[in-house]
Amino acid sequence: MEEDFKLLTKFKQGDQEAFASLVKKYKMAVFNTIYSIIGDTQEADDIAQEVFLKVYTKAGSFKRKSSFSTWLYKITVNKCIDELRKRKNKIISLETEFDEDEKLKLKDVLASKEGDITEEWEKEELEDTIQKAINSLPEKDRIILTLKEIENLSYKEISQIMKISLDKVKVWLFRARQKLKEKLLFLYPEG
Amino acid sequence: MSCMKFRILLSSYLDQEITKDEEKKLLQHLQTCPDCARELEHLEKIKRIFLLKERKEPREFFETRLFEHIKNRTKQPVWRSYFPVFRRTVVVILVLFLVIVGWVNYRKLFYPRTTEIISDLLLDEEINENFEQELLEAYYGPLG
Repeated sequence: MEEDFKLLTKFKQGDQEAFASLVKKYKMAVFNTIYSIIGDTQEADDIAQEVFLKVYTKAGSFKRKSSFSTWLYKITVNKCIDELRKRKNKIISLETEFDEDEKLKLKDVLASKEGDITEEWEKEELEDTIQKAINSLPEKDRIILTLKEIENLSYKEISQIMKISLDKVKVWLFRARQKLKEKLLFLYPEG
Repeated sequence: MSCMKFRILLSSYLDQEITKDEEKKLLQHLQTCPDCARELEHLEKIKRIFLLKERKEPREFFETRLFEHIKNRTKQPVWRSYFPVFRRTVVVILVLFLVIVGWVNYRKLFYPRTTEIISDLLLDEEINENFEQELLEAYYGPLG
């Protein structure tokens, strides 16, 4: 956290290398958060660029009220929300239904003790299946699950990013998991 | 505590965001409630699904593209690079100009200039004719 502040201070003083270090450190986190919420790699890349552009132009207004990463995630989530709102006016369909092959594949992987897959194409297929499950959820659930499960953030960080109480984080996560469970009912043959 | 509340706790338990006291109560409940115990298994499965998800890489040359993007978006027209130097002067001149224009129009509206009144009189032929007649009567007395 202190390292981020130091880099940011250097950047505010005009050190472009310091900004490049921050981008290098956080580009994967930003990109994967966006991809998980938006569900499209090309768009995730474009939005990630917009996020860092905003960091570049608004770094001066950053106050040390939260960590740099929390501020960055806040910008990222807000950009995603803007994008999802724009989409409401367009017809963009993300795949959300599983075919039989995908269901079997996911079942097999979860049944195996290590959940180990060696083939590259199998990894990609599984990746798409998991993303389909996330795509099928409402915006709010996608965001909270992404922050917890993909980015492994604490409840406190999530509450700061989403501007909700800790109790709400608990309840929203519980509901999001319930909805995801309903989508993945084929994994639970015993009901 | 109801099963519903324990299920919310289950979700927090998996994320290790639960107090010692809550954990104790939850573990006791799980020993007596097979439905909640099965729910825990289901939630663990969902958690495993996310662990299987690999992190993706953004497209190639992310930083290069970003810096190009920043350069294009933050590029200012030449006149704007001089603008900060003259900004205060420009603002003062603009405010003075607006005050003067406002004052002049205010004066025009409520206090028309005398020259304008006279020119209006001269333009009006009827008034002009009466004025001449009145002038003659003043010299020679009432006319015919």
